[in-house]
Amino acid sequence: MPLLSLVDVRKSFGGLNAVSGLSFSVDEGTITGLIGPNGAGKTTLFHIVTSVFPPSAGRVLLLGEDIAGRRPHDVTRKGIARTFQNIRLFTTMTARENVMVGRHPRSHAGIWGSVLRTKSQRAEEARIREKTDELLALMGLAGYEESPAGKLPYGHQRRLEIARALAAEPRLLLLDEPAAGMNESETREIHRLILAIRAMGVTVLLIEHDMELVMNVCDRLVVLNFGQKIAEGTPEEIRRNPQVIEAYLGKEEEDGRDA
Amino acid sequence: MPFDWLNPYHLQVGSFLLINVLLGVSIYITLATGQLSLGNAGFMSIGAYASAVLTTGHGFSIPVGVVSGSILAGIAGILVGIPALRLRGVYLAIATLGFGEVIRVVFINWESLTGGAVGIAAIPQMGREILAAAETAGFSPESLGLRNNQFISLAVFLILLAITLLAILFFLRLSSSRVGRAYAAIRMDETAAETAGIDTTYYKVLAFSQGALLSGLAGALFAHATSYISPADFTYHRAVEILVFAVFGGSEVLFGPVFGAMILTVLPELLRSIIDYRYIIYGILLVMMMVFRPQGLIDTALVARLANRGKPAGGS
Repeated sequence: MPLLSLVDVRKSFGGLNAVSGLSFSVDEGTITGLIGPNGAGKTTLFHIVTSVFPPSAGRVLLLGEDIAGRRPHDVTRKGIARTFQNIRLFTTMTARENVMVGRHPRSHAGIWGSVLRTKSQRAEEARIREKTDELLALMGLAGYEESPAGKLPYGHQRRLEIARALAAEPRLLLLDEPAAGMNESETREIHRLILAIRAMGVTVLLIEHDMELVMNVCDRLVVLNFGQKIAEGTPEEIRRNPQVIEAYLGKEEEDGRDA
Repeated sequence: MPFDWLNPYHLQVGSFLLINVLLGVSIYITLATGQLSLGNAGFMSIGAYASAVLTTGHGFSIPVGVVSGSILAGIAGILVGIPALRLRGVYLAIATLGFGEVIRVVFINWESLTGGAVGIAAIPQMGREILAAAETAGFSPESLGLRNNQFISLAVFLILLAITLLAILFFLRLSSSRVGRAYAAIRMDETAAETAGIDTTYYKVLAFSQGALLSGLAGALFAHATSYISPADFTYHRAVEILVFAVFGGSEVLFGPVFGAMILTVLPELLRSIIDYRYIIYGILLVMMMVFRPQGLIDTALVARLANRGKPAGGS
């Protein structure tokens, strides 16, 4: 059974069909790229999968269970975490606190545990902190634990947001343009991190415009245009698909590769 | 008498200061999730009236009245907090201000229960009840070197001090825990918080009802400190006064509104000589705050600086 399946998912805003009849699935342990020109409906699809808003029609199945219409926090608890295209960190919190917040759905302390500082609450806080520092180190943020998130350099903020998402121990991680605005060496670092995340057993669904990164890191690609799937396959298949070349990469292949 | 310097009037000002600190904490709790509620004067009146009615007309003891009043205000907080989820910012502020006025008008018109605009008098006073109990047990304040009125005011002050310190400790610990992190995350970015796996509905209603419960507690204690309440004690002036604690002191950290409540209770007492100009000075103070320090006197950066100074290896 695929980890995530979308079945005939539609979303319209007023008269505009942002996503119209989209079906595809993501297998466990893969890195899948979602590509397409601006306005193709990629981020809308992320919002639907994480239930930021419900689809107008269609089903979103996580291991066979329909999660469409559930509350977003519930979807996160069930195993889907994400980052945002325009980074959304808790800017005045420290880097560590941001990741500790991400640990929320995997911890339990309530009011009384917190106020009375029970043994189990203190043990849980210690585990949260341990896991947090582990993730910060993994994302190359060791030494920045106490820095306010909003003051971190841009590339660090992107990686901090990924660390926060990973703190929820997702089965599926959605990354919305993780390499946007990054230079070449930072992009290589993101490449390495995505592979490291997969090695942790987390399946990755990725929106990205950096074609070199997408082609090198993804096992499969899904190409969207005007809210519809126009192609699906391995990077090599997509590279040769004439429809994709025309719709997305541009009419001349050479130009497309540079984009 | 060895304690002649112990002035009942000063103790009374101190008691009102502590009640205001509780109110300052109550608005902070709701604000901690980014919700600005001006309904805390209304919740305060629910706590005050509930406790006053139970103890004055029905013979319940003060602790029973205070606990019942607080819980009733907390339940009212849940009932108001759920529809309030649909509102943001200034719309929420206006709706909750409206709620407070509705409650006040209900108390004015429900004469059989509340005594209408006249209010409820002869509410059991905490200090006097303790004195009576002590005297029955054969204890006299004079053995401590205190006059009766000193003993009464001191007892009220110490009870309020204990409750206020407990409330501050409660919310300090809550702030530095999983629940507090959820509150802060919701305040900073509700969508990101929800996506990070936080049930924002639950925590927003929780914070709202905690603020209401604390306001109700402050109201009930107020009733048993003054022994007389009327709807005039819970007008929108009170709601704005509570707001000013947070605006002046700051609402980023718990000690902001606590500090604001202290200063703004003591200042008018010190300024009695120029009492006619008091509100002018208030107004100027607030305008200056908005211009020069909109986050309030005490903010996160200031707390961090003070905390660093305490550390041996601290920098600046």
